[in-house]
Amino acid sequence: MFLAKRLVLAHFWVAFIAFAAAMVLGAWQMFVRSPLSAWVGNPEHYYRSVTAHGTVMAYVFPTLVAMGFGYAITELALKRPLLGLRWAWAGFWLVIAGTVMASVPMAMGRASVLYTFYPPLIASPLYYLGVVLVVVGSWFWVALMAINLRAWKKDNSGQTVPLAMFGNVAAAYLWAWTSIGAAVEILVLILPAALGLTSTINAGLSRVLFSWTLHAIVYFWLMPTYIAFYTIVPRAIGGRLYSDTMGRVAFVLFLVFSMPIGIHHLFADPQVGSGFKFVHAVFTAMVSVPTFLTVFTIVASCEIAARLRGGKGLLGWVKALPWHNPMMLAVTFSFIMLGFGGAGGLINMSYQLNETVHNTQWVTGHFHLIFAGAIVIMYFMIAYELWPQLTQCAAFSTRLVKTQLWLWFVGMMVLTGPWHWVGLLGMPRRMAYFDYSHPAIQPQAWPVVMSTVGGFVLLLSAFLFVYILASARSTDKPVEPFTFSVAVHAASKVPRALNGFGIWVALMVALTVVNYGFPIAQLATLKDASVPAIPVGAR
Amino acid sequence: MLEPGLYTWRNPWLRWSVLCVGGTMVAAVLVGFLWLPSAQGDFNAKGIWASICRAAGVPDAWGDKAAMVTRGGRTTSVVLDQTMARLGSGEAAGRGATLALQQCTMCHGIRGVSVANAPNLAGQYPEVVIKQMTDYRQGDRLNSIMQAMARNLSERDIGDVAVYYANLPKVPPVAGRLNVTVPALVRVGDPMRNIAPCASCHGGAEHKLGAPWLDGMPKDYLAVQLTAFASGARKNDSHAQMRNMARQLSTKESDELATYYARP
Repeated sequence: MFLAKRLVLAHFWVAFIAFAAAMVLGAWQMFVRSPLSAWVGNPEHYYRSVTAHGTVMAYVFPTLVAMGFGYAITELALKRPLLGLRWAWAGFWLVIAGTVMASVPMAMGRASVLYTFYPPLIASPLYYLGVVLVVVGSWFWVALMAINLRAWKKDNSGQTVPLAMFGNVAAAYLWAWTSIGAAVEILVLILPAALGLTSTINAGLSRVLFSWTLHAIVYFWLMPTYIAFYTIVPRAIGGRLYSDTMGRVAFVLFLVFSMPIGIHHLFADPQVGSGFKFVHAVFTAMVSVPTFLTVFTIVASCEIAARLRGGKGLLGWVKALPWHNPMMLAVTFSFIMLGFGGAGGLINMSYQLNETVHNTQWVTGHFHLIFAGAIVIMYFMIAYELWPQLTQCAAFSTRLVKTQLWLWFVGMMVLTGPWHWVGLLGMPRRMAYFDYSHPAIQPQAWPVVMSTVGGFVLLLSAFLFVYILASARSTDKPVEPFTFSVAVHAASKVPRALNGFGIWVALMVALTVVNYGFPIAQLATLKDASVPAIPVGAR
Repeated sequence: MLEPGLYTWRNPWLRWSVLCVGGTMVAAVLVGFLWLPSAQGDFNAKGIWASICRAAGVPDAWGDKAAMVTRGGRTTSVVLDQTMARLGSGEAAGRGATLALQQCTMCHGIRGVSVANAPNLAGQYPEVVIKQMTDYRQGDRLNSIMQAMARNLSERDIGDVAVYYANLPKVPPVAGRLNVTVPALVRVGDPMRNIAPCASCHGGAEHKLGAPWLDGMPKDYLAVQLTAFASGARKNDSHAQMRNMARQLSTKESDELATYYARP
């Protein structure tokens, strides 16, 4: 790497420290609402903690990881220094300032509205301004990714954009368009109420605008993981990427389909018509396509690695995979969690089936399995892969790394399996305590205890992760230069449509306008649609 | 950034992408807006256009409006609003004080703390006084004395009295923090009976607009109100939030709560 080492390291360290702190809150939440603990003395403390956990895990942690990884990719894949280093630092400090600004009212109990805001609940304006600063800081990154790609293309006319950079810029464009929904919600609807300029808020419209961000943000979290699947995993396990083109197709499909689907979070909301709910359900189903393509391509890449190692037979090659390699372990765990989580997701997105699980603990189990499980385990691997480049350290002890991955996987499965189960039993989410002594709730007691155990295993794994990174020491030995996966068929010539984003960004915008235009316009012009704002913690 | 040839219909990537996405869109719209609604008799009773509008989320009354019965009648005409919670000007407080001295002090105490089993008003949130007085005036809350008093007050009078009382020092809270000595119903409610904690609206954990400050209120007043909510004799809680809570309480629990909040 050239200029961005300290920059990337700063992003990663802040992300991982915030992550570890939010893990402590998460474990406390699991414990305090389990039968192992007496009911929390003041339920508001629980919601305060949930807000902090969600805000850090949804906004701060993945955004910083995506930004840091993006800067690293720009230098490593384009093989040239990052343009706009000062702007990148400015974006970083904006994210930090926003995080601090949002943390203060959260800690004071003036923002216990959960990270999804839930208007007409209204928090301290500082909380929203903090979140806006985090997002604006990330927009610096979006702009820099676009600028760096354009400059590279100008100097390398007709060349194929490296796959890692292609995915990286796709993620940046995805995020730019995704974050607009929540940004508009905050700036136009919530902040005027939080600042006392208005005393009512159009809660229905707010929820629709947030749904614009709410689902696609998951794909923004997912992109670093998918980039790692395509461009790091095959190399790290000693194989070849099965298809470079498939990676590009998957990335552009995410760009097109991740956006116009958020209303599937509002299936129970009366302000949105059933027709639009159905259309969004259909497009949600379409997002499974790039995931299936990815699973196929990466499994095929693994097969290549296994056959290169002498694997034989229809399935016998599985035994020849490099199971001692942490990356092999991580991608396997990630796919298992993605499989279970994805299957659960198909249930959530079905207009009818959703009714059975809506707002139950099933949903919490689902998004932890997908995000904290399948996605975050690859964030760990990204950090382990990049650390020697960033700190000149020697490779990590595979024993420690594998222990950390095993703990994370087992912890996540033990956490989320019972969580799904109690959701099916009807346990609602967003509750500070449950009366497990009641005969109707008693069957939920043991699964909740079990998932609490899973939560603490995860906490252990998170601390081990930070310890492994912190204990890295720089060496005098030269660090091997970083490489990305090589495709079986080198991508010397890809279709021009897959070497840029024009068509796909246009489709993304058009689909969003078609799927969101009418509901937003209709709710914005609806008379008497506003309800009194409810400030929290104000008295 | 336009690249020649890329953005033409001859480019198969563009052509097929647009056709596939557009085709999926059209199919989804046909199913979601025409086919699925056709399965619901009441949904499409008014014809195909009304059915499409409903599927799009345009508000409309379904079925026979005449057959719709509003049960229970009106509960309150007051929509609580943050603007009611403002503490108002010195002039408003002075005017309110004059009105209060003339009409309120006999029962509610010279400084808003009652010795006559009427509720304390000292330090009461202004929107609480506004709401209750308006409800008395409109006949949504029943009390022969208070309704007669409120009838002669204008909206401004009510607002000014509310500002005056909000500025008086309130009876200090009975418990500064929520701890185990506080009754469970106050701290955590009883989720299996759908009883929310008192402290989540009336202060302690959180305060909600329109919920009165209860600490130090006369015990008899609190007990009577809980009974009235439980029987439905008092029903000016807009969303039945207090009626639903009070109905679930045993006599012993009502008494425990009234005692707790009345503690000096």
